[in-house]
Amino acid sequence: MRILLIEDDRLIGDGLNEGLNRLGFTTDWFQNGADGHEAIYQAPYDAVVLDLGLPDMDGLSILKSWRKDKRKEPVLILTAQGDVDQRVIGLDSGADDYLSKPFALAEVAARLKALIRRRNDRLEPVVSFKNINYYPETKTVENDGKPVVLAPKELMLLEVLLMNRNKVMSKEFLENKLYSWDEEVQSNAVEVHVHHLRKKLGKEIIKTINKIGYVMED
Amino acid sequence: MIKKSLRFRLILSFCLVSIGIWGGSAALSWYESREYVDEFYDTYQLHLARQLSAADWSNIKPGTQARVNTLVEELDDDGEDEDEALGFAVFDKNGKMIFHDDEDGKYFTYNQYASGFVNQPSGHKGKLWRIIWMKTVDNDFTIAVGQELKYRNKAAVEMVEEAVTPWLIGLAIMLLAIILLVNRELNPLKLITRNISKRDADDLSPLKENFAPQEIKPLIVSMNSLFDRISKMISRERSFISDAAHELRSPLTAMKVQLEVAELAYDDKAAHEKALQNLGKGLERASRLVEQLLALSRLEANTQQYQNFDILDWHKAINNEIEEQKSAAKSKKIEIETKIKEPYFLKEGHGLLISLLLRNLLDNAIKYSGEGAKIKIELNDKELIVSNNKVSLDKKNLSRLGERFFRPAGQSVTGSGLGLSIVEKISTLHNCQMTTSLEGDEFSVSITKN
Repeated sequence: MRILLIEDDRLIGDGLNEGLNRLGFTTDWFQNGADGHEAIYQAPYDAVVLDLGLPDMDGLSILKSWRKDKRKEPVLILTAQGDVDQRVIGLDSGADDYLSKPFALAEVAARLKALIRRRNDRLEPVVSFKNINYYPETKTVENDGKPVVLAPKELMLLEVLLMNRNKVMSKEFLENKLYSWDEEVQSNAVEVHVHHLRKKLGKEIIKTINKIGYVMED
Repeated sequence: MIKKSLRFRLILSFCLVSIGIWGGSAALSWYESREYVDEFYDTYQLHLARQLSAADWSNIKPGTQARVNTLVEELDDDGEDEDEALGFAVFDKNGKMIFHDDEDGKYFTYNQYASGFVNQPSGHKGKLWRIIWMKTVDNDFTIAVGQELKYRNKAAVEMVEEAVTPWLIGLAIMLLAIILLVNRELNPLKLITRNISKRDADDLSPLKENFAPQEIKPLIVSMNSLFDRISKMISRERSFISDAAHELRSPLTAMKVQLEVAELAYDDKAAHEKALQNLGKGLERASRLVEQLLALSRLEANTQQYQNFDILDWHKAINNEIEEQKSAAKSKKIEIETKIKEPYFLKEGHGLLISLLLRNLLDNAIKYSGEGAKIKIELNDKELIVSNNKVSLDKKNLSRLGERFFRPAGQSVTGSGLGLSIVEKISTLHNCQMTTSLEGDEFSVSITKN
């Protein structure tokens, strides 16, 4: 899951960036509002973490501008103020959830997951496909009832394909979902991950549609 | 408590004065009545004595007294005879009483040498009488006309009483009126007291002054101005506390998140180390912030305390601070230049605060200038200037620099946003003024005497 993180505070931003990556998210971190505002148009983000107290551009106006442009990405706002007003204004401006500083990393991750799940209308705790069971909450996968260990990127790939069942996903789209701007991507990265998934879960679960992409078809 | 009650004192003094005036006029009236009574009865006695002395007493017969008595008794039946305690007696040459009024007069004792008015006790019950002694025309007889003094007193008392009783009623009414009036006039005070005592601690709205009498208005006005000052102070304190809490949220969040990252990266040594380092930076930021907050709040609280200034040793203070921050400057290859020239613009001051001021200025200069920058500290008879070049600061933010917690956008170094607030506050305490300016990439702070 690719997350857009806009936070000006170096220590908080670095911690969120590092921590969310370790918790299985792919993050792009921007330290100023202008760049962060632009970034949403450049990649398919699953959710946005937006600090309201940005020095150059007000977080709320960024949010409003996105919503005006019909961007529907779920947005989690971070406020420094404890007062209710700002939360209400934030939610009214189109935010999906808020957290007040000081918050914990685990809380940010949990809220992001909940937001993405809600956005994908996927409230069931387990997603079953053929002989595979996927548990989004714990991010664990079972093959014929036996647990399978997947690398983080493999897990992300599986998640994207599972959520978009019967839809053909292009290689570029999958690449963008899996990797942030900062990460170096090898040209055959997605193929490699697909190969590993097939090896671990069975050859027939992912179909290759020549020159277009991949699909998980019922 | 009695001494402190204005109402009680007013009533008491009004009462005492009224009673005093009433008592004084009663005494005066008594004295005048007594004189009048004396004059009146003396004249009366003299008149009677004159008539008696004109009579011929030489051939008075032994039966005359008894006959006169019977005549008087017959008259008494229908006459109104007020007993004025008058009596008379007639004595012959040998002091023998030959005629009297059959009442008090018969007890008069002969006084051979007396002539005119004499106060003397009568033979009956020893009461004091005022008696006029007079010889008859032939010099053979002596006339004595007397009146009991007690009666005169009684007459005078009656006169005084008649005059004073209406006054007494008036006095009682007046005292009652005084008590009521004093109570009523002091009511505004009571109202204010009730108003203030009923108030909540945080209700600092002004008291109404439009109905208060002129004497109480200044009190209300000055209390309102006190309320105003207190409420301003409280709101200042509140905003300071909320700002401080707000500012502490960021380093706390950073520490919390970094700690979690450190825990997540337990198997990745490099990431673990980095998170711990970041945690350390967060701690440093938080402690610096707390330190600066405490310094500022102490400065704001104790405006009265810093009155006893010492002679400042600027040279030593500046060198000490440079020595303290030498390594920080060295790591950024920053050169520090000083130009100290006596006499100084500020000779006396609070040594510790001046050190704090210099520390903050130098700290800012090192933090916010680029690698290889130059810091200049100039001190002379006009001002103290600390300037540093290679600064990236937007001119529009210049005026906001002294604001608490204000930090221009895109700061990568840790800072509390309080440094210049502290410098400004210390300047004010020394009757000085802080001004900031930006020319090209050179930023300077100047302290001048007001």
